[in-house]
Amino acid sequence: MTELRFHRELYSGEAIDEAVKTWSNFAEFSLSETPEHWVVEVTPKHEAAARQIIGEFGNYVLGLTVDRGGAEAS
Amino acid sequence: MSTDNQTSFSDIPEAVASVSATDRSVSINLDAEVYPLQAVYGAAYIFLDRCFVFIDRPAEGSYRVTLSAKQAVEESEALRALVGEFANELLSCAWRHQITQDNRVAIETVTVQAIAGAMGEPSLDDLADFDFTDEALDDPLGIAQSWEEKHGRKSPGEDKAEGDAATSEEASA
Repeated sequence: MTELRFHRELYSGEAIDEAVKTWSNFAEFSLSETPEHWVVEVTPKHEAAARQIIGEFGNYVLGLTVDRGGAEAS
Repeated sequence: MSTDNQTSFSDIPEAVASVSATDRSVSINLDAEVYPLQAVYGAAYIFLDRCFVFIDRPAEGSYRVTLSAKQAVEESEALRALVGEFANELLSCAWRHQITQDNRVAIETVTVQAIAGAMGEPSLDDLADFDFTDEALDDPLGIAQSWEEKHGRKSPGEDKAEGDAATSEEASA
């Protein structure tokens, strides 16, 4: 299990939700939040590709956030 | 991201970039006053196909961008190249962002004019339906009057008419 902490001022919460839905076939996700961060615990279903799954998931969240015009726009 | 076993590049300011030698990634610390967030987004977006990119805010007024190479990196020189290319892209994005901000009014004006022009000229039906009885300008304070109309010298005919009116008023009194 790997914990990713996405800063609220930098990442869109809706982008995280959408990314979790998209990547749910490749990993299990647990969502929580702190005052400053969206916290996502990622457990890849394929251990051999864990680094790639976690990295691509992070990229996907960032890409969606940028497409939405940033964290504050959503 | 782990911060153990960090080294630095001799030709890049240590305060700007630090390298993790253990997990083929590099972290770049950025001053938020120098680089706007939109520029950081833009530069990060360009590197999505080459790196795993994470952005964090370690302290108020600064960003930390972590680039983790997707492919195996044999030498630290490749990481140094990543830092350099990202810094160049970031500067380019920041400058383009500044130009956009400076020209925002002009861009919006041209866009509105283009859209209005695309709607085309009014048709004859629009002209037939136009209500010409409406007052084009409501001017209760007489602001739209010219100085001559409001305070200028009156014509001889007007002077004579006003003089006759004054005389008849005095006679009736």
